[in-house]
Amino acid sequence: MEGLISKIKSKFGAEILKKEKNQIWMKINNKDLINICNFLKENGFDFFSCLSAIDILENNIIELVYHLWSQEKKTILNIKTEISREKPEINSISKIYTASQIHEREIHELFGVNFLGNSDLSELFLEDWSGPAPFLKDFDWREYVREKFYNKENENEKGYYN
Amino acid sequence: MENILLQTKNLLKLKDSSSKTLEKTNNHRKKLKKLVKSIWVFNWFNSCGFTEVLPVVGSRWDMERFGLIPVSSPRQADCLIIAGYQTIKSIKVAKLIYEQMPAPKVVVSLGSCPVSGGMYWDSYNTIKKLSDYLPVDLNIPGCPPRPEAIFDGIHRLIQKVNS
Ligand code: SF4
Repeated sequence: MEGLISKIKSKFGAEILKKEKNQIWMKINNKDLINICNFLKENGFDFFSCLSAIDILENNIIELVYHLWSQEKKTILNIKTEISREKPEINSISKIYTASQIHEREIHELFGVNFLGNSDLSELFLEDWSGPAPFLKDFDWREYVREKFYNKENENEKGYYN
Repeated sequence: MENILLQTKNLLKLKDSSSKTLEKTNNHRKKLKKLVKSIWVFNWFNSCGFTEVLPVVGSRWDMERFGLIPVSSPRQADCLIIAGYQTIKSIKVAKLIYEQMPAPKVVVSLGSCPVSGGMYWDSYNTIKKLSDYLPVDLNIPGCPPRPEAIFDGIHRLIQKVNS
């Protein structure tokens, strides 16, 4: 395991953030994602377990965390990478890890991240959605709901506008 | 054809008079009537709404004793029970189910969510008033409603149908 980590460090310039028994956190440049995933898949990390996204409004970035698991090494690898909020785009890893396709589709729906190369980014849960990506922190959902579902003139619904 | 109808009518009459001994009092008969009437329900649950009706299905309140039988196809159902909030995606399916049910049919909604949105009043993906989308005959309020309330509601429904 140690050998593999130092290889990732030297080859891709990854930064190791934290190490624990069975868990490693690292940060990479978003341009290296495909290469690192290819490299890791060849070296035992063949299970894509999850993809999460965090909207960090202050830094104007969206952070993506790829969780990869290796049964052989009994280790989970959390790969963090950042993309800008203005142009939330990143290469899709669905060609490498097939399971990531639906995860990317969900993140696309909820955070508006565009995964280049993903075969299907259509709506998953939010059918007929017309608003902005709902999990972004600057989405005012209450305002959206008021506009879409309620009527200020209605006596019974006035309370929702306080 | 008419002959057959007459025959069956006569048969029914016969049955009526022979079972007279069973009908002790008017009251008793009324109670029995409730047991005889069966409503076939199609359940459409997709929220915490499922927990609303679950105890009614179980042995404690056993709804089948009172003729409420869950069916697996909307085409056999008399009554559509919608429990809990509907999302914009699931209300489409609910509408489809409603259209598939043969008339006459009734719609019962459970909980406070189908009335006003309930605790999801400010959720961006749930519908707020079910009656905007489907003709709701009866709403049983509560979050979730007690099984007693559900039975009371069904009783009212039967009364409404009888009258
Ligand atoms: S009324 Fe309460 S229990 Fe029923 S769906 Fe709404 S929140 Fe859930």
